[in-house]
Amino acid sequence: MKELLIIAIGSAIVNNVVLSQFLGICPFLGVSRKTETAAGMGGAVIFVITLASFVTGLIYKFILTPCHVEYLQTIVFILVIASLVQFVEMFLKKNMPPLYESLGVFLPLITTNCAVLGVALNNVSKGYDLLQGVVNGLATSVGFFIAIVIMAGIREKIEYNDIPRRFQGTAIVLITASLMSIAFMGFSGMI
Amino acid sequence: MNKYVERLYNGIIKENPTFVLMLGMCPTLAVTSSAVNGIGMGLSTTVVLVMSNLLISMFRKVIPNGVRMPAYIVVVASLVTIVQFIMQAYTPALSASLGVYIPLIVVNCIILGRAESYASKNPIAPSIFDGLGMGLGFTIGLTCIGLIRQILGASLGITVFIMAPGAFLVLAFLVAGMNVVRDKMEKKGKPLAAPSGCMTGDCASCSQSAMCTGKLPDAAKKSAEQEAK
Amino acid sequence: MNITAIIIAALVVGGTGIFLGFFLGIFGEKFKVEVDEREEAILGVLPGNNCGGCGYAGCSGLAAAIVKGEAPVNQCPVGGDPVAAQIGDIMGVSAEGGVKMVAFVKCAGDCEKAEQDYEYTGVEDCAAMAFIPGGGPRSCSYGCLGYGSCVKACPFDAVHIINGIAVVDKDACKACGKCVAACPKNLIELVPCDAKNKVQCSSRDKGKDVMAACSVGCIGCKLCEKNCPEGAVTVTDNIAHIDYEKCTGCGTCAEKCPKKIISRAG
Repeated sequence: MKELLIIAIGSAIVNNVVLSQFLGICPFLGVSRKTETAAGMGGAVIFVITLASFVTGLIYKFILTPCHVEYLQTIVFILVIASLVQFVEMFLKKNMPPLYESLGVFLPLITTNCAVLGVALNNVSKGYDLLQGVVNGLATSVGFFIAIVIMAGIREKIEYNDIPRRFQGTAIVLITASLMSIAFMGFSGMI
Repeated sequence: MNKYVERLYNGIIKENPTFVLMLGMCPTLAVTSSAVNGIGMGLSTTVVLVMSNLLISMFRKVIPNGVRMPAYIVVVASLVTIVQFIMQAYTPALSASLGVYIPLIVVNCIILGRAESYASKNPIAPSIFDGLGMGLGFTIGLTCIGLIRQILGASLGITVFIMAPGAFLVLAFLVAGMNVVRDKMEKKGKPLAAPSGCMTGDCASCSQSAMCTGKLPDAAKKSAEQEAK
Repeated sequence: MNITAIIIAALVVGGTGIFLGFFLGIFGEKFKVEVDEREEAILGVLPGNNCGGCGYAGCSGLAAAIVKGEAPVNQCPVGGDPVAAQIGDIMGVSAEGGVKMVAFVKCAGDCEKAEQDYEYTGVEDCAAMAFIPGGGPRSCSYGCLGYGSCVKACPFDAVHIINGIAVVDKDACKACGKCVAACPKNLIELVPCDAKNKVQCSSRDKGKDVMAACSVGCIGCKLCEKNCPEGAVTVTDNIAHIDYEKCTGCGTCAEKCPKKIISRAG
């Protein structure tokens, strides 16, 4: 139990997926203009990454390992993730239309999001079992959610500020990310 | 200019993935803590890019349109797995320091983007040179950033540059610098290519464009126009 | 070279691919959402800029509502009558002509006519200025701040700041309503395009205070209300308001107004 908690806090905050591991930068920079869209994207990411950690964990344990083809993990994982996302989109569109309206737009963007594949591969390389893998996935995606919502909040505020012309747009967001990264480094003594 | 050299020039200078198009930001930030890492990542991406452009261009008339994306993904993923194991065997130190970012070359937008926008529509030889050009451009970009971070961080001792925040800082100043260059080039009447990427509305370079339901309305119209062309 | 290993690897990847193919194919059918083809046709006819002026979530939202019968065929203010007619053809009903609306800024206090309490330097955005105590540098606390939150909100470039107040270009305006929502002082109202008389003031201050703050503001004298033959003008809270259902455009109110704040133009 304590071990799961350490994994969770480590992945969510100490080694934050965006600010420390540099996974999922593209949507982090692109979708963080408003807090509502950021929250929607974060929610979709939590959903997909947790599910993907579970499914890829199962596949690694019950198919790849017994057949001694662990080296196929990259190929099989990416195929499974792409299909999983498509399936989730279909399922939501049919059975939960309001949820689809708020999250569904972001789902295809998450497929090539390095964070999903990155978490799946990390679970394997760190040797986590199924439960640890799912907890790691859930915590990582919650970390993404926290980071992207904070960034959106900051961006909404600095919109009214007098930013030098050449820094407007991506550059000022990157500087903000750098400051957030320094702030999150303060957590490194926790575990 | 010879059309092959033109492809090289395009990838290295005119549409440099790091400086001009700003694609593939994840590896750019993650592996540039030293110049050697930057070169290593850049070259491995170049190899994958050239091979994938070659294969996809070879099979472009055979792959059915509906399963285009999964087919490209399988090709790229297989190539990346091969490269990963070669690196583990022959350059173990580099492989260990690049870590999980080697398999993540699969989802590097540059590779699937070039496959979708160039290799699937052009013959083999130009595709190879396009891959080579883009890959070398990416390598040069990574190496430059890696050099800056290493000099400032390791040699001059400002440690923040080797760590995570430093990566964001260097990239921020790079983007600002490129904005200066962009403005100057526009004044001269030679505008640079616009940056692409998710949610900027530029779906042409995105690998997922065909199945994306998240397009903003202008982007949807623009890509419909481009499909029609 | 271990042939067995190669065959197993090929089988695993091939098997995964085939399984996923079947999986997606089967569930694609099971979860197929029936899309009425009329909805697609309507979506094709609508302007497609998702402005939300119809009151629904984007053009696809309106298309769905029209097909369900919840929205009339002329609901899209941007497309106007031509689009309504096309949608009417698709749905098999005739489109009644809707009234074309335009946005109107209810303030006439430009740089020459309105007083300022102090010189303002700071964030140049009306929404941000609404937090300043006193509501901004303008003496009249109801007036247009002139920093263009409405201009930024307009997707059709129909609003501009001219001489310190916002002015709507009637030909460009599509009555989508975004400027109405953007104005922190609630100065913008949608009025019929052909309305001939419009009250160009929102000040609820008493006459003396209005005259101190602005040379043209409505002083609530009620001359317009007393003289309107249709009873279309009412003065409440020291400000005149015209009911366009009753207004015939006779222009009596505009003639009687001592401040000339009711416009006569069509």
